[in-house]
Amino acid sequence: MAPAENPARERILEKIRTALREPAPRHPSLEGRRIFAPVEGPLDRFQKECAANITECTVTPDLQESAHFIAGALAQLPPGEIFIQDSPMLRRLAPAWQNGREIRWSSEGAPHEASQATITQAEALVALTGSVLVSSSCGGRGATVVAPVHIVVATLDQLVPDLEAVFARLREREIHMRNSYVCLITGSSRTADIEKILVMGAHGPVRLLVVLSRDSN
Amino acid sequence: MSASAHEFLRSAAEKSADLTHRQIIRKGIDQYNTSAERGRSRFADWEAARQRCHEIKWEAENNLDRYLLEFEQKVKDRGGHVFWAENSEQARQYIADLATQRGVTKIVKSKSMVTEEIHLTPALEKLGIKVVETDLGEYIVQLREETPYHIVTPAMHLTRTQIRELFKDKLGDVDTDDPPQLVAAARRSLRREFFSAEMGISGANFLVADAGMIALTTNEGNARLCTSLPSIHVVLAGIEKIIPRLSDLATLWPVLATTGTGQPITCYSTLAGGPRWKGEVDGPEEFHVILLDNGRTEILADKNEREILHCLRCGACINACPVFRTVGGHTYGTTYMGPIGSVLTPHLRGLNEFQHLSYASSLCGACADVCPVKIDLPRHLLHNRRDAAHQGSRPFVERIGFHIWRWGMQSPARFRFFGWMARTGARLAHSLGLTGTFLDPARAWTKNHAPPPVPEKTFRELWGKQNGAR
Amino acid sequence: MVPEVGLDLVRVLRRIGYDLDFPAEQTCCGQPAFNTGYWDDTRPVAERFVHIFRSAELVVCPSGSCTSMVREFYPELLADTPLADDAAELGHRVFEFSEFLLKVAKVTDVGASFPHRVVVHDSCHGLRELHLKQEPRELLRHVKGLELVEMPYSEDCCGFGGTFSVKFGAISAAMGDAKAGYAESSGAEYITATDPSCLMHIDGILRRRNSKVRTIHLTGILAQSAGSGGRDSASRLAESRR
Repeated sequence: MAPAENPARERILEKIRTALREPAPRHPSLEGRRIFAPVEGPLDRFQKECAANITECTVTPDLQESAHFIAGALAQLPPGEIFIQDSPMLRRLAPAWQNGREIRWSSEGAPHEASQATITQAEALVALTGSVLVSSSCGGRGATVVAPVHIVVATLDQLVPDLEAVFARLREREIHMRNSYVCLITGSSRTADIEKILVMGAHGPVRLLVVLSRDSN
Repeated sequence: MSASAHEFLRSAAEKSADLTHRQIIRKGIDQYNTSAERGRSRFADWEAARQRCHEIKWEAENNLDRYLLEFEQKVKDRGGHVFWAENSEQARQYIADLATQRGVTKIVKSKSMVTEEIHLTPALEKLGIKVVETDLGEYIVQLREETPYHIVTPAMHLTRTQIRELFKDKLGDVDTDDPPQLVAAARRSLRREFFSAEMGISGANFLVADAGMIALTTNEGNARLCTSLPSIHVVLAGIEKIIPRLSDLATLWPVLATTGTGQPITCYSTLAGGPRWKGEVDGPEEFHVILLDNGRTEILADKNEREILHCLRCGACINACPVFRTVGGHTYGTTYMGPIGSVLTPHLRGLNEFQHLSYASSLCGACADVCPVKIDLPRHLLHNRRDAAHQGSRPFVERIGFHIWRWGMQSPARFRFFGWMARTGARLAHSLGLTGTFLDPARAWTKNHAPPPVPEKTFRELWGKQNGAR
Repeated sequence: MVPEVGLDLVRVLRRIGYDLDFPAEQTCCGQPAFNTGYWDDTRPVAERFVHIFRSAELVVCPSGSCTSMVREFYPELLADTPLADDAAELGHRVFEFSEFLLKVAKVTDVGASFPHRVVVHDSCHGLRELHLKQEPRELLRHVKGLELVEMPYSEDCCGFGGTFSVKFGAISAAMGDAKAGYAESSGAEYITATDPSCLMHIDGILRRRNSKVRTIHLTGILAQSAGSGGRDSASRLAESRR
């Protein structure tokens, strides 16, 4: 906003500059102490964390097997449209999913309200927390939150040990520079707002499936 | 005593006697404590995590202008707008003007305490705009026409039976007290709203300076829908929410989740940076961030109070507070309750009106123990009390009383005399049968306690006898 | 109001070989005025305290809250006075009673005997500012015949908080009532703590409830020795007042 439209801006900045003439006291540093224990065996850890946060994680030998597994999962869902991120990899695997299903590709637009499931790739997976990093490149913002079932097609080379590593990856690949939206997803949506009782499936997906292929090809 | 203080005392007395209410809160807090303890044990070094979070926030607040300017530039580079609001009115006006100009008829909101702080919803509703709270707890209290009971779990004071009655009354198509079915009913009812609202309003857990993005820590998915579906996304955040770097979230996200809900990390740790870009499938056309001062620069200006701005709004201090556990969140009558509320409110809304909140504490220190950014909350309560006394706004009797106390404590003879007066007075009241009655000078104590037995001899007298007078 | 606490402290320290003095000029550490915000009124009282104890090698105090006033808050209170350094230094020489026994005297067995079931209330200042959790329990574990039990929420504040108990009486009483209930549920005969003010508050509430549980300060337990009929003169003094 132009200065004339927002005169408060200069006044606030001036107040801040005046306020900060003296630094506040701070606690002495605790040098060299590790906040998290290093992750041993990332794949095992990822699977363990997924079980804890109720992500359905399946490990397959290759992408063809992943496609086959997903076809099986889709067959169990009620009839209705499936929304898929339009990427070369998912275009290649899609024939396995066309079995009498309407498919809407992300290139056609945002997912419809009544989609039964969305299928997307991920930017990375995090072993420490059993999380999936997605961005608006993964079929858009709605693709990873709108439908009751979200299926992630991932490969083992996308797995990083912890949060420091995922932010390093984000920085290296400039994921946040190429997207308006990034989200670290850990499990399916939930709430404990009623008597602190955990209920799965609030406004986001009720089920999150991560299908992880050992082979990236 | 201010009007707020009167109301606080009235409500506190009522809630302190309400054993049912205390039991509900106790149960909720116990569940939180179990989860939070488990959560802390997932860290190799929890104290190192707290220290790191303290350092991140220290760096942010002590370089606030620099990081706010960096954030502003990066948001603009991303195609977003940044508006700086000195007070509630300016913030409300900006949002109201924007909504009016764009012909907005419905707004979906995710949970944001700062929108409560500026009383945004009533201002928008006055313009005929429908404002829908989409966080389940906020949705519930909105239907009940109440304010949030707690900054993280707004409906923790309600039983499932009460929620059943509420939904039966307001939503019509549901009659159950089974939590999954209640949640499903809320999901059905709110889904239509997400898809038809023209504007989504969120707060921000963090404003990330080096990325020009806002960070949201949530579980339900409602904030994601509010920030993905409507064509305008408005963010309201206090200026203190800034953090220097994206990678700071590697520590802040798990710590906030741990102290907020006991989770390793919440379901959706989202970074929203700008409107949709060319080539993106969906997302809002417009992105507006409103940076709110509203008294924060005053706190910033006192270097001994500045750390109050480090607060992550996690709610851990509220959960640890025995006063909160006894009187509940509504008694405070303010947006922010519990220890942080008692420290912050006098600064944001005036010491005169709200000093009683800083006095309504036994200074037990449980809050400081659990604060993830190591804010010394009891010390700030003491500072507020000191400032209230300095300001001269304390009751006259109390001021005179402590002047007399000072005079008395500066001489052992006077000290012994005061002690003798207290003991003699107590004995006299007792022998006249006045103890506990309206005429009992110690009635404030004897109202709730059996009177203490009065010793015949003092320690000094007995020591002197044992060891010879010195 | 509770002279037996001071006498019992003296008894125990003498029993383990310490020579004590009680400077009769002392009055108060200043906490009541400080906590109510009257720092200007507190300052001269605190300065007086620093002077009086200037030449003492070690200072022992039967109250965690008074000890923490000196250690945690004197430096800030006296920051801009000539006594700033003395105040900070004094903090290293002042000890709460159980802290003194374990960290300075390094004894856990003071030859005490108290054949009763006892539960510990963790007084806030002792617990959170002086970090005393195990110390009182260590000492009690070495008391002959004593059965130590725990109660739920032993770390919850009892609700005294100085003038808080009077200004916000309803909240204070509710907190004390909850504490009394937990103490009763533990099956203990006695509840003990390191702060006499906690015990005075809890005591008033227990007796109002006609509870079977009685309060006794930590010094009171440790002062009891076998062969004096199980009752030493200080506690007999307390008993006779009821």
